[in-house]
Amino acid sequence: MRNKSIMFMVSLLLVLVLMALSLFVACPAPAKDKIVVGMSRPLSGPLAIIGDSAFRPIYETWVPMVNADGGIYMSKYGKYLPIELKIYDDKSDVGTMTRLTEKLILEDKVDFLWPACGTSFVFGQAPIANKYGYVLVTAEGGATTIKEALPSLPYLFVSLSFSDWYEVPVLAGILAEQGVKTAYVVYIADLHGIEYSGVFGIELPKKGIQIVGNVSVPPDLKDFAPVITDAMNSGADAFLCEGYPDQVLPAMGTSIALGYNPKVWLGGPGANFGFFHTAFGPAVEGVTCWAVANRKTSPAMKEMYDLLYEGKPEDVHDWWGHPLYWASLDIWKAAVEKVGSTDQDALREVLATTKLDTVLGPTWFTMFGDGGGLMAYESHTGEVGQWINGELEVVGYTGIEETLPNYKATADFVYPKPLWPAPAE
Amino acid sequence: MDIIRGVFKMPRLWWLISLILLVLLATLPLYGSAYTVILITAIIMYVILTVSWTMFFAPTGYLSLATAAFFGIGIYTMAILGEQLPLLPAVIAGGLVSFVVALIVGAITLRLRGVYFTIFTFGLVELIKHLLLFWEINVTGTRGRFVVLENNNTIFGVILGIFVVLMLTYYLLRRSKYGLALRSIGENEEAAAHLGVNVNLLKVFTFALSAFFMGAAGAIMATRWTYVDPYVAFNVLHSFLPVLMAIFGGMSQLYSPIIGAVIFAYIEEQLLTRFPEYFMLIFGVILVVAILYLPNGLVGLVRKWWQKGLREENVNS
Amino acid sequence: MLVSALNIVINGLLLGGLYALVAMGLNLQYGVARVLNIAHGEFIMLGAFITWAMYTKFGINPLLSIVIVGPIVFIIGFIIQRTLFTSLRTSAPSQPAFEGSSMLASFGLLFIIQNVALIIWGGDMRAYSYYNFGINLGGAVFAANRLIALIFAVVIGIAFYIFLVRTRIGKAIRAAAEDPTTAGIMGVNINLVLALCFGLGAVMAGLAGVFLSMCFPIYPVMGLEYLIITLIVVVLGGLGSIPGSFIGGFILGLIGSAVSSWQPSLALAAYYFIFMLLLIIRPKGILGK
Repeated sequence: MRNKSIMFMVSLLLVLVLMALSLFVACPAPAKDKIVVGMSRPLSGPLAIIGDSAFRPIYETWVPMVNADGGIYMSKYGKYLPIELKIYDDKSDVGTMTRLTEKLILEDKVDFLWPACGTSFVFGQAPIANKYGYVLVTAEGGATTIKEALPSLPYLFVSLSFSDWYEVPVLAGILAEQGVKTAYVVYIADLHGIEYSGVFGIELPKKGIQIVGNVSVPPDLKDFAPVITDAMNSGADAFLCEGYPDQVLPAMGTSIALGYNPKVWLGGPGANFGFFHTAFGPAVEGVTCWAVANRKTSPAMKEMYDLLYEGKPEDVHDWWGHPLYWASLDIWKAAVEKVGSTDQDALREVLATTKLDTVLGPTWFTMFGDGGGLMAYESHTGEVGQWINGELEVVGYTGIEETLPNYKATADFVYPKPLWPAPAE
Repeated sequence: MDIIRGVFKMPRLWWLISLILLVLLATLPLYGSAYTVILITAIIMYVILTVSWTMFFAPTGYLSLATAAFFGIGIYTMAILGEQLPLLPAVIAGGLVSFVVALIVGAITLRLRGVYFTIFTFGLVELIKHLLLFWEINVTGTRGRFVVLENNNTIFGVILGIFVVLMLTYYLLRRSKYGLALRSIGENEEAAAHLGVNVNLLKVFTFALSAFFMGAAGAIMATRWTYVDPYVAFNVLHSFLPVLMAIFGGMSQLYSPIIGAVIFAYIEEQLLTRFPEYFMLIFGVILVVAILYLPNGLVGLVRKWWQKGLREENVNS
Repeated sequence: MLVSALNIVINGLLLGGLYALVAMGLNLQYGVARVLNIAHGEFIMLGAFITWAMYTKFGINPLLSIVIVGPIVFIIGFIIQRTLFTSLRTSAPSQPAFEGSSMLASFGLLFIIQNVALIIWGGDMRAYSYYNFGINLGGAVFAANRLIALIFAVVIGIAFYIFLVRTRIGKAIRAAAEDPTTAGIMGVNINLVLALCFGLGAVMAGLAGVFLSMCFPIYPVMGLEYLIITLIVVVLGGLGSIPGSFIGGFILGLIGSAVSSWQPSLALAAYYFIFMLLLIIRPKGILGK
């Protein structure tokens, strides 16, 4: 019995020492010689697929670029301060992400917070950032549902474009101009998919396009043959597949294999990446997807892409998210320099009220009441793209400038999509 | 009567130490940093999952991977009832729903033994996740739900309360004649049945009891996460981690799964923040090394050292 | 109607072939070596990524990758069993204790292999096109690459079964599966046999990875997803029954295909439901003893 008790005390002591250790870490540095930016990212786990190809290459290129010029000019300290990133791995788990976000804020007392990865993570992180008064400019993730939450989240600034902001209205305009009459929708069974399916259901009928099929698929479905066969039997003009690369790539592969050649083949997040082209080669011709810009959009955009993709394989290209993530960092930097300190409230004020210059051109946030904002769709340089001659081009319709003044179509929409090429092997 | 006498059988020193520890923990928000409270909350969550898993596994030998299912049920109960009910009733509701589901599952799986039971319980997590997903999309037309954000200290208090009730329950269960009967199931189920132990009832009830605590923990943690969907709530990691933690700490003593969970969770936290790029690699190596050199868990190792030390002392004197 | 039924059957068989191959590998590891190898899916991932890298970097035909992937994963599996699991087995006080500790250790392996893959290849998704065109069979159309995968999976599965039944090593493996102690007394080098089994199990996962990469996109964290399906197939077919796993794979493939064509969003729920129902009716699997 004595033995047992001593054992217990030894273990207890161990626990107490560990607890005490956790209390005495991280002492704040006295002199301000750098800006510490904290992030909780999915370096491992299922979301690493998205995180590693979306925002990660952007901050890994952008931060060294800014630091090469000395960093960000902070007028409060009268000098340029380099950015130091503090990155934790949330192993793709929301619970871990919320805890690490609070660690960054409370214990590490980072100067600024950068975003976690994915829509549900934005939903989990935004209330925390808001609670502690930290500005959160997001990267991956965005959804119509966030519009309902925005009025109560004044520190949240969402930068990615999404369904009704302003992708699907533009798509509807393009399809209507080409004479598309019917569409078949496949969507992933999650918030993202449901939302697109809903927005398709509103925007397409407005332009006289009838939805003849609307099918949801679970996120880990492997076999797309039954869905594609059903789409084929529907005879729809346009096939719209809204999912993630996990769904879009198998859907594409199965469409080619089964010889399903609709006049429009759209793949949501997936078809906009370089690896889509390297995977399918010439078969990508005419495939439609979401896209914001390419090198032809503007000299600034060309410069960004050259820097970002220099010496990297085509796999890592992303013509939808990358320009917007880059713009989100540009606008964040411009706003921080305007504030000149790490004051979050002042930063929020600048972001909420000022038009600032980014790689997109003049960029600002559309504010929701006294709450947070969405990067204004008027500042988007593109919404819909199409693979033409091996390049992803931004496409539009006649008169698009009336709604989207910054929109820059780099090629004309090809309709109908060319047939899949004959098998090479 | 038996139960009440059991409480007083506990050695006085144990009571004292437990009490001191408890007071130290309960007053943590007064002297600890805000983040320490958050971290300890997460660690206690792991401890609850691990101890309640051990409560069923250690005596019966049935390895359940349904932890994530009961935890997730608790999370979803909070997401649905959180706005209608005050915090505590909602937490208890989370536990009760898990309890009822576990009763049903337990009754269905009576015939299953060994790895078949394990795989069945694992399938349960996935089945509930996908059915819920289907229900949310096709019936309620949503996938995610927002949960009311709670004060971190309140959450800490509630989770500490769940932990205390759990430890008392586990202690009494081990001490009572039910615990003895349970262990006879683990040793030889047929023989136990012949001895007049109502094997089925006992097994299913203990399974449901452990599920109650998992569900309650899920319900309170949901208020920290603020946004849940079926994929967030039914994360298979929550099935595997308690098993790893329990084996890591050992299961011979009342406190060994606690030690396992605390140290495991602490190492994980350190690796995620200090070596984020190599978290899994280092964690994997620690796991393999621990399992190679700690066959009876961490507590087993320390006990072995201790006994060896005692023997040498005896030899010297 | 007939065509769609044919479609369902063919698609089910195509997917089932891959499941069958992976499940046979896992069953060999659990049935004989008694290791419930949670890292089994990681060998699928390794096979898939080696094939992808060989094809895109050096233009090596994915089917040729079989002879590259096979030996590599065999050696890894063999060494792991000889070192890690052998020492766990000899030090374990009882069979259940070994099963618990080896499962835990395989968890560690999963973490290690996945992290190494993330460091080498990054988290991005990869894919390539290989024989991606349609084959028409009585009105049902399916991709050529999947037919190739199916044929190879079946051939390898049958070849392995013949190896088990006909050769001396195969008999030693089966003897070890029945009763390791007696087999040891009868002169079977038990450690060598177990390492062989583990290596061969890894080879089957690796080869399944080769075929899988021809049909589906791949990524470093894909292993666990396939592991779960594999576990179901193994239990469905009966632990320790190689033919059971083979048949179980096809059954699960057919179920998935049938439900997908009726209500895609319920396909995975149906997997689990039917599997759990079967467990309750036949707790030892279809061909379990």
